[in-house]
Amino acid sequence: MSEVATPKNVLIVGVGGQGVIMVSKVLAQLCQNNGYEVKQSEVHGMAKRGGGVFSHVRFGPKVWSPTIPEGEADVLVALEWAEGLRWINYLKPGSGTFIADCQRIVPPFACRNRGRGAEATYAPQTPEEIIEQVHAGFAIDATTMATNLGNLRAANTVLLGALSTALDFPEEDWLESISMFVPPASIEINREAFFEGRAWAMESDKRVDETAAGLHKAHTDIHNVDIDTVVEITEEWCKGCDICVKMCPERCLRMNDQLIAELALPDLCTGCRMCEWLCPDFAIKITNTPVTPPALEPAE
Amino acid sequence: MKDHLNENEFNINEYIRLDQMPHFLCPGCGHGIALRALLWAVHQLGIDKDKLAIVSGIGCSGRLSAYVDANTYHTTHGRPLAYATGLALARPDLNVIVISGDGDCLAIGGNHLIHACRRNLNMTCMMLNNEIYGMTGGQVSPTTSGDRYTTTTPAGNTEPVFDACALATAAGASFVGREVTMQIIALRDMFKKALVHNGFSFVEVISDCTEIYGRKNDLGASPEMMMSQKSTMRPFAYRNTVDVPFRPNAMKTGVLTEVDRPEYGNAYREMTAGLRGEKGGT
Ligand code: SF4
Ligand code: SF4
Repeated sequence: MSEVATPKNVLIVGVGGQGVIMVSKVLAQLCQNNGYEVKQSEVHGMAKRGGGVFSHVRFGPKVWSPTIPEGEADVLVALEWAEGLRWINYLKPGSGTFIADCQRIVPPFACRNRGRGAEATYAPQTPEEIIEQVHAGFAIDATTMATNLGNLRAANTVLLGALSTALDFPEEDWLESISMFVPPASIEINREAFFEGRAWAMESDKRVDETAAGLHKAHTDIHNVDIDTVVEITEEWCKGCDICVKMCPERCLRMNDQLIAELALPDLCTGCRMCEWLCPDFAIKITNTPVTPPALEPAE
Repeated sequence: MKDHLNENEFNINEYIRLDQMPHFLCPGCGHGIALRALLWAVHQLGIDKDKLAIVSGIGCSGRLSAYVDANTYHTTHGRPLAYATGLALARPDLNVIVISGDGDCLAIGGNHLIHACRRNLNMTCMMLNNEIYGMTGGQVSPTTSGDRYTTTTPAGNTEPVFDACALATAAGASFVGREVTMQIIALRDMFKKALVHNGFSFVEVISDCTEIYGRKNDLGASPEMMMSQKSTMRPFAYRNTVDVPFRPNAMKTGVLTEVDRPEYGNAYREMTAGLRGEKGGT
């Protein structure tokens, strides 16, 4: 084990519920077992909204600050692809290692424009293009690897295996630390997952999983179907409860002076049907008709 | 895309009695949303309206049967399960759905509930839990939460609450689930499972009584009540996250029990057929 003079910085990011904290605990325990001082700080608790979770782990002979400044992370581990991209500016330019699971959990903020026919702005670059830009990088399909091994939950351990190639600790120490944080019954499968991830990342400095290659570009036109929406409100049935007005994600409904709901901003309506579903008085009817742009469709 | 549109396409007007509309429930009462989820499940399963029997008791929930365009049966207080038991035994070809409330099902009809669960006769019971007797002016019910004000607890309720799903599971119901009205898609899917389940299915819907309960306890209008109900439950998806358990003390939503147990109607018919066979032989 070579000496680490200045602290090493590892940033772990993901979406609530994926196990960011578990991964960082394993790493912190490992560093501590190897005689380093470790500081870990995290933001969590956003699981409910599928929100972002991140954890800073810093270790070295002496660590003062608990957080990693922008552009200072030696390794960035992302349990979800878009979260990885959101944090990529924390990576040390020229020497940082980027390790990301290609798993895609679309966060609500990825769709900045929810209007009809709008594009989702989720990661327009393909994994190859991203990996091209970093010093060392892996776009790994840990979820599929772990599923093939028989336990989807071992995906984090596959990532730990990939991470182990970027840090200088003996294999046994990794395994010991992992077995402290996984259920006893799954130690064996996590061991396999660790070696699978490690062997996969050992092969080269930059690698993109075949199953992930070219993956994300295709998704950008997911919202590109134009829909014609008609909102009908039966005034005699509406009791003015305010549910539709408050629940409409686009805020396009409002109460008129008779306390009856009306569609104030029809252009913003995306036809999501939230108002129809939640009106307790069955007063709203949404009719969505897909509009196929004639010029773009090849004639049959 | 087309399939996606069709799946969400549901015209509730085909399933309700239009001459009865608008219904008598207060503005913002969650019962209407629960009824939509139930009828939506019926629609998606392709159940024939002539083969659908809705039985209800007394209370705000009891009124719902009157609005459904099917075979409906508005019975006495607390006894819809008893009437439905007779109906389901006599007409096994019907899809029997019982609509009941927290007071109807757990207080006045508590005895019928536990025995319906025990028998495991094939029917579906939807219990609308709004924590209060709304129709009679807001009296305390077995599910009224602690410290809440009602007409009969002017200084706050001190009684502990019933966990209806735990009760149903313990009494032997073979399908038990709970959901909030705000999660209408999850609720619809739960009804779909409950309706195809062979045995007694019990679904508790957390509904809101804005006009009485909400007003007395300063819980805000319906949108606020619905959102706070949603955010104080412990949803199924987060039950076993890797991190610390999510809201460990909150009520769980989702399918809570799903087991295979002998269905009473079958057992009963087999027994009677056996008896007839013996008699015919002698
Ligand atoms: S369908 Fe209803 S809830 Fe959805 S955007 Fe349109 S008006 Fe709002
Ligand atoms: S949800 Fe229905 S009843 Fe309530 S204000 Fe909107 S249209 Fe009217």
